[in-house]
Amino acid sequence: MKKNILAQAVALALMASPLAASASEAELLKRLDKLAAEVEQLKAELAATKKKTDTVEKRQDALAAAPVAPAAVVAASAGTAPAVTAPVSTAAAASPATMLGPNTVLSSYGEVNYTRPRHDSSKSQADVARAVIGITHRFDEKTKMVAEFEWEHAVTSASDKGETEVEQLYVEREFNNGLRAKGGLFLIPAGLLNTNHEPTAYYGVYRNFVETAIIPSTWREAGLGLSQTLDNGITWDTGLTTGFDLSKWDATTTDGRTSPLGSIHQEGQMAKSHDLSVFGALNWRGVPGLLLGGSVFTGKIGQKTPDFAAQDARLTLWDLHARYTPGKWDLSAVYARGTISNTEALNQTFAGNPTPVPSSFYGWYTQAAYQLWKNSDYTLTPFLRYERFNTANSYAAMPAGLAVATGPNEGVWTVGTNFNVGEGVVLKADYQKFKVDTARDRFNLGLGYAF
Amino acid sequence: MKPINVTALALAASASSSAFATQYLTVEQAQQVMFPDATGFRDVSLQLTGEQMKQVEKLAGLPARSVAWRVFAAYKGDAQLGYVVLDDVIGKFELISYAVAVNPDASIKQIEILTYRESHGFEIKSPAWRKQFVGKTAAAGLSIGDGIASISGATLSCTHVTDGVRRIAAIAQVALKK
Repeated sequence: MKKNILAQAVALALMASPLAASASEAELLKRLDKLAAEVEQLKAELAATKKKTDTVEKRQDALAAAPVAPAAVVAASAGTAPAVTAPVSTAAAASPATMLGPNTVLSSYGEVNYTRPRHDSSKSQADVARAVIGITHRFDEKTKMVAEFEWEHAVTSASDKGETEVEQLYVEREFNNGLRAKGGLFLIPAGLLNTNHEPTAYYGVYRNFVETAIIPSTWREAGLGLSQTLDNGITWDTGLTTGFDLSKWDATTTDGRTSPLGSIHQEGQMAKSHDLSVFGALNWRGVPGLLLGGSVFTGKIGQKTPDFAAQDARLTLWDLHARYTPGKWDLSAVYARGTISNTEALNQTFAGNPTPVPSSFYGWYTQAAYQLWKNSDYTLTPFLRYERFNTANSYAAMPAGLAVATGPNEGVWTVGTNFNVGEGVVLKADYQKFKVDTARDRFNLGLGYAF
Repeated sequence: MKPINVTALALAASASSSAFATQYLTVEQAQQVMFPDATGFRDVSLQLTGEQMKQVEKLAGLPARSVAWRVFAAYKGDAQLGYVVLDDVIGKFELISYAVAVNPDASIKQIEILTYRESHGFEIKSPAWRKQFVGKTAAAGLSIGDGIASISGATLSCTHVTDGVRRIAAIAQVALKK
């Protein structure tokens, strides 16, 4: 537009010149000088105006929720002035390059929970269960780093129960064919929850049992991974990573009953790496709203630990999962099963202890949620979930008299609601009823956020 | 009025494309894909008035967000086929660039994802997901859970692109409809 004004000014001035055809050469020169001066002045004014618009545009951009092409403001005159189409197009088309947003993004999620056991209110408890800070940094168009740092249970010290951990720390590189490679500490793509574990992403105050007791979310391993998404909606993942360390098994406590893999995971903490594990996952999202998928993770877990009785033990964990979100419904189901082989000799050394190593463990759940009410940015989504799991479904054969009873098939109903405020904040309330261990029946309240 | 300046466009588009590994389509490619019959595209970028912005907000149920919008009109000879509107939204952490083809009656003709950089949700590019938008207007069917199904694990990306398309449908209704 400004160029136009300038051009018009020059054109006008030139058109005016024939009137002076009879004027002397000196007069003409004088007039030219005057014109030159005017052009200079116009240039200065143009520069000033440009500076001003730039400032306005910058301010406007800052105000806008998401970045918008600054060049497009200039482009507004294009419709009436075809002559400037070319430069305007350049600006408009090239603008994405200048609009990558900040290279470093800070993210966070957290949850504060309250639990009141139905039969023993003396065990009521409030907990800052998780506080997580994430940093994503993009080095260039193809390379980025993702990190998540987490505090669990508020305070971490020698005399406190909290944990501080690096939950994710990896670098991802994308190749031209859409193949993505990553290296570092990353989440294993098992089940539905592990890679989507923010409190705003799941129903209920606590993560479901299947994806904590059987699939040990938040489950991450250090290693290398490859993945790719195809146009038909299939995403495949594969990788070579650290695995579990069976020598960490403590047969004297119930930790292994609560979560067999949660008690022997290594979480990238000076992880024994003699035996590496491999994983593969396949997910199909070819129909909008539908996800069907499965995963397998397997590796030896003896880690060549000296004087350890289960050098050849192998863990294999697999799962099948489905999620369907037609309209206001959110339906999902997960089945997960793990096996640990060659534990006979090890379990004999544990004779007399309450928690030998199981040879198999499994769990499944189905869940239905329905968006019942929505008003501006409030949404109320009640849900119902039933899960069944057994963390000690079977043991390798033991000599007569030494056998330990297999774990119960626990069944848990969870009924409750998520109340979302916008897309970043959630309030939760639910009640959980246990089929076997009824002492665990409890009311839960939770507050969570994620951005 | 000459509607064509494709050479300039192509130059501009290819100049920026070399920098994009995660760019699936350049602006020019998106134009060709969405209007294969077009013989030319003309920049008709918009600057909304205050009144228009209010109407857009009312129609879309979203802030109009910006005064300026990058729009190209697609022509076959002298006949106008529709428009291509360019936009960017934040997915979860990163910017998603996309193009929306709009029919002269302000209904959605097609959407194309130009760049996607999030770690999850690449399925947003799949034809099956994008097909959900075709033929719809700002009036109905352009919301997650109401006409558009989300992608599990990429809820924010889907929501933000869907909201963006609804906003563009409203802009088309207010400022582009013939």
